[in-house]
Amino acid sequence: MMDAPLLPLFILLTSLLAAPVLFALPERAAKLRTAINLGMAALKVALVAWLSLKVSQGVSYDLRFAMLPGLEFKLQADPLAILFIALSAVLWLITTVYSVGYLEHGPHRARFFGFFSLCVAATVGIAMAGNLFTFLLFYEMLTLATYPLVIHRGNAEALRAGRIYLIYTLAGGLVLMLGTLALWVLAGSTDFVAGGMLAQLAAANPLAAQLLFVVLIGALGIKAALVPFHAWLPIAMVAPAPVSALLHAVAVVKAGAFGIMRVVYEVFGIETAQALGVTAPLAALAAVTILYGSLRAITQDDIKKRLAYSTVSQVSYITLGVALASPIAAVGALAHLIHQGLMKITMFMAAGNLAEGLGVKRVSQMDGVGRAMPGTMLAFTLAALAMIGLPPLAGFVSKWYLAQGGLEAGHPWVIALLLGSSLLNAVYFLPMLHRAWFRDAAPDGAGAPGRPRIGWMLAAPPVTTAVLVLVAGGFANAPFSPLEWTRFIVAIEYQE
Amino acid sequence: MSLLALAAPIALPLALAVALTAPQARALIWRMMPFAPLPALALALLADLPAGAQADWLVLGLHLGLDEVSRLFVIFTALLWSAAGASARHWLRADARATSFGVMFLMAQAGNLGLLLAQDVAGFYAGFALMSFASYGLVLHSRDMAAQGAARLYISFVVLGELALFAGLALAAVQAGSLLLGDLRAAVLSDMAVALLILGFGVKLGIMPRHFWLPPAHGAAPVPASAVLSGAMIKAGLFGMMAILPLGAVAYGDHGTVLMAAGMVTIFAALLIGVQQGNPKAVLGFSSVSQMGILALGLGAGLMAPAAWAAILPVLVYLAAHHALAKGALFLGTGAFAAQTGRAGRLGLALALLVPAMVLAGMPASSGGLGKETLKAALVAGSPIWLPWLVVALTLSGVATTLLMARYIALLWLAPPKAPAQITPEALLLPFLALAGAALALPRIWPVLAQDLAAPIGQAAPGSIWPLAAGVALASAVALYAHALRIGPALFLAHLTAPFRAFGARADSLLAAKRRAGRRLGHALPKALGETATRWRLGQTAIAGLIALVLLVEMAASLPLSGMAPDTPEPPAFPLIDTPQSSILSPDF
Repeated sequence: MMDAPLLPLFILLTSLLAAPVLFALPERAAKLRTAINLGMAALKVALVAWLSLKVSQGVSYDLRFAMLPGLEFKLQADPLAILFIALSAVLWLITTVYSVGYLEHGPHRARFFGFFSLCVAATVGIAMAGNLFTFLLFYEMLTLATYPLVIHRGNAEALRAGRIYLIYTLAGGLVLMLGTLALWVLAGSTDFVAGGMLAQLAAANPLAAQLLFVVLIGALGIKAALVPFHAWLPIAMVAPAPVSALLHAVAVVKAGAFGIMRVVYEVFGIETAQALGVTAPLAALAAVTILYGSLRAITQDDIKKRLAYSTVSQVSYITLGVALASPIAAVGALAHLIHQGLMKITMFMAAGNLAEGLGVKRVSQMDGVGRAMPGTMLAFTLAALAMIGLPPLAGFVSKWYLAQGGLEAGHPWVIALLLGSSLLNAVYFLPMLHRAWFRDAAPDGAGAPGRPRIGWMLAAPPVTTAVLVLVAGGFANAPFSPLEWTRFIVAIEYQE
Repeated sequence: MSLLALAAPIALPLALAVALTAPQARALIWRMMPFAPLPALALALLADLPAGAQADWLVLGLHLGLDEVSRLFVIFTALLWSAAGASARHWLRADARATSFGVMFLMAQAGNLGLLLAQDVAGFYAGFALMSFASYGLVLHSRDMAAQGAARLYISFVVLGELALFAGLALAAVQAGSLLLGDLRAAVLSDMAVALLILGFGVKLGIMPRHFWLPPAHGAAPVPASAVLSGAMIKAGLFGMMAILPLGAVAYGDHGTVLMAAGMVTIFAALLIGVQQGNPKAVLGFSSVSQMGILALGLGAGLMAPAAWAAILPVLVYLAAHHALAKGALFLGTGAFAAQTGRAGRLGLALALLVPAMVLAGMPASSGGLGKETLKAALVAGSPIWLPWLVVALTLSGVATTLLMARYIALLWLAPPKAPAQITPEALLLPFLALAGAALALPRIWPVLAQDLAAPIGQAAPGSIWPLAAGVALASAVALYAHALRIGPALFLAHLTAPFRAFGARADSLLAAKRRAGRRLGHALPKALGETATRWRLGQTAIAGLIALVLLVEMAASLPLSGMAPDTPEPPAFPLIDTPQSSILSPDF
C-alpha cells in the first residue's frame, strides 16, 4: 500500500522523473523509450484515478516545504486540481501514443520526449500548486520546457515562432512574478484559499487590489491567449502536431486559463472580485476574444492556423464563465476546461493525420478526405460539431451552462455572444466538413486513393478522444463525468 | 414503459446507419430500409398512454415518452419514413452515392423520431439537430448546381434556426426552472423566449419569410428524400411549437398576430411564386409552404386566444397528418411517374396522382375538406376581429392549392422529371399507392387512431366543392390564356374557331359527296334497270301481261251489269272554238 499522503508528489514525479531517463537514453533505443513513456503515462492515469476517488470521499492532501520564511512550496490536491490533472493525465497518455507514431522515424526523439515529459510535469505542478508562488515556479518551467518542442523542427519558421513564443511567455512570467511579489507584500501570503483571501485588502485599499487583479490576470492572460496577447498562439502552430495538440488542449493555454480560475476564485474570491468591479471588464475582454478569434479563424486556409484561432476563441469561454460570477456559469467554464481540451486535441491530431497520411495541410485541399481517411475525419467531424454546440456532444453542455449562468447572473447578452460564436464556429467548421465528406477528391489531388495508410498509433488517438467527446456530453449527468465533477468543485468555490 | 422500448425507435435507425458503412452488410441493410421505422410505429400503436421513462445519466437527464399528441405524430411520421425507405431502396439501387444517402437518411430518421419521443430540452434539441444536419446530405445528394445552391441555402437556414432555438430553449428553461418540455408548456415564458422559439421552429415550418430554403431543397433532393422532408420533417416545426410553447395557458397577442399575418401572407404568396416554378417538385415545395401557412393561422389563433386552443389543437394534428400523407404520396408518385416510360403508364399515374392532389386541395369529405371545415369551426372560439379574414383565407386557400396542383400536374405531364437508369417502375408504385390510399382513407382511420382527439373532425361538415371547382375552372382558364399567349392571339382565335370551321368544311364535303352519290345513282339506275329488265326478258313478260290484262277487261265487259245502262246523255263536245268571251284578243279588254 502506497503512502497515501504523498500521492500528489508521486503523480508529479511520474513525469518529472521520466524526463532525465528519457534524455539519457540513446536515440536508437526506441522500444525502451516507448515503454517508459507509456508505462509512466499509464501509471499516472491509475494514480490520478485513485487520487480522485480519495478526494471525492473527502480526503484532503496538503504537502508543504518551507523555502523561505513565509514562502512555502506547497502542493495540494483539491477537486479543482483533480479536474486539471485528470485532463492532463488522460491526454498525456493518448498524446504519447500519438507522438510515438508521429515521430517514428524523425530525428531528436530523445530530446523531444524528455521535454514532453517535463512539459506534462509542469502542467501537473500548475494544477496542484497550493499557492501562487509554487504556481509561478511551474508556470516558468512550462514556458521553458515547451520552447524546445515548439522549435523541434529547427527550420527558420520554427525558430521565429519559438522566439515570438518566448518573448510573450517570458514577459508574462516576469509580470506574474512581480504580481506574486506584490501579493506577498500586500497580503502577507500567496496561498490559494477557497473563497479567497483578499477581502480585507479590497476593503482597505480597493485601488491596490484592482491594480493587483489587472497585473495578475494580464500576466496569465498572455498564456490564455486573451486579446490583445493572443498573437503568439497561431504562430506557434508550426510545432509538430502532437505538440500543438498538447499545447492547445492541456498545457500552455489551459495553464493560463487555469491560473485565471485560481486567481479569481482562490486569491481574490468571487465575491471580493465582484465587489471590486473587475469581473465585468474581464467578461467583456473574454467576449471580445471569443468573437475576435472566431472572426480571424474564418479567413485562415491553413488547417492548423484555423484551429489555433479557434482555440483563442474557445479558451475564452472558460474565462467568460469565471468572470460571469455565477455558479452555473462556473460549472460551464470548468466543464469547458475539459471539453475544449478533448475537442481541440481531437482536431489537432486529425489535422496531423491529414498532413501525414495525405499531405493535406490546407482547407482548400480537403476535398474528399473523408473517403480517404474515414476514421480520422469522423473524429474531426464529431469534434467540430461539438464545438458548434450540438447535443449530445461535449460542447453543447458547456454552452448550455454558460447560457444558463449568464441568464441567472443577469447578463442576457451572453446568449447573444454564444449565438454569435456558434454561428462563426459553423461558418468556419462546416465548410471543412462539406469538403471532406461531400466533395469528390480531385483525381491528382491530395485526397486521391492509393496513398499510404497511417499506422494505428496515429489513427487510434483522435478516434479515442472523439469518443470521449461523445461520452463527456452524452453521459454528462453520470457520476465522475466532467460536468458532475465541476458541480462538486463549484459547490466548494461558492461555499454552498 | 421500459426505456428500451422507447429508445429502440431511435436506436434502430442509428444502428442501421452504422451498419451501412460495412460493405458486407449493405445489401441486407437496404433491404431492411422500409422496416427501420417499424419499432416507432409499433410503440405508438401499442403503448399505454402516457408512457414515459428516464435515463438520468444521459446528456442533461434524458426523458423519453409518448402522449396523445406525440403518438399521432409518431404514427404518420413512421408511416412516411417507411414508405420513403421502400421507395429509396429502388430509387438509389444503381446510385454511386447510395451508401452516403442511406446513412444520412437513417440518421435524419433517428433524429426525427427522437425529437418526437424526447420530453426534455436537450434530448429534443439533439433530435432536431441530428435531423436537420443529416438532411444536408439528402439535399446535396445529386451534387449538381441546383443541389449545391439548395444545400447551401438549406444549411444556412438550419444554422440560423438552430441558433434561435438554442437561445429560445435556454431562456425558456431558465424561466420555467426545468428542463422538461411538460414544465415549459405550463410555465409563463417571456415574450423574447416565445419569439425566439417561433423564429426557430418557423424556419423548419417554412413560414414566410423563413421559407427560402424549402422549395429549392425539396426540389433538389431525390424523390424519397423530398417526401420525408416535406411530409415528416417540416412537421417537426409544428410539433416543437406544440410541445414547448405554453399554448392554451398564456396569451401572446402580438406573437399570435404576427404569426397569423405571416400565415396568411404565406398561403397566397406561396401560390404566386409557386405557379411560376418550372420544376414539379419545387411546385410541391411551394404547396407545402402554402399549407404550412394554414397551420400558422391555427397556431397564431391559439397564441392569441388560449381559450380556443383546446379546439384548435386536434385540428392542427389532423391537418399535419393529412398533409404528411397527401404530400408524401405526391412526391413518391412523382418518382413513380418519372419511372414510367410508356404513355399508358404515365396517363394512369397522372390520374392516380389526381387523388392525393384533390385530397390536398380540400375535396369535400376528404381529409382536406374536413380539416379545413373543422379549423373554421375551431377558430370561431378565437378572436372575433380576425375571424372573417381567417374564414376567407381558409376558403381561398382551397383555390390556391388547386391552382398549384394543376400547375404541378401540367408540369409533370409536359416536363417529366428524370428517374435514375435501371429502375423497376413497379417497385415504386407500392409505396405511392400505400400513402395515397392512407391519405384518402384518413377520415375513416382517424377516429380509430386518435379517439378523443378525433371528435371535432367527426362533427365537421364535409366542406364545399366550390373552391376546388373554382380552382379547376381558373386553372383551365389560365391554361387557355397561357396557350393563347404562347401561340399569339390571332392564331389562338384561329385555333378556337377551328372546330367550327372544320365542322362546316366537313358538312360541305359531306353534302358534295351526297350530291355526287345522287348523280352517280341517277346515271346508274336506269342502266341497271335496263340490264335487269333485259335479264328478265321484259318484252315477253310485258306482252304476256298485256294479253292477260285484255282478257281481264273482256271478262269484265261481258259480265251483266244491272243499273249501269248508258241512259246518261252524251257529254258535250269540247267548246273550244265557239266560246264567246274567247280571251286575249277581246276588244273590250
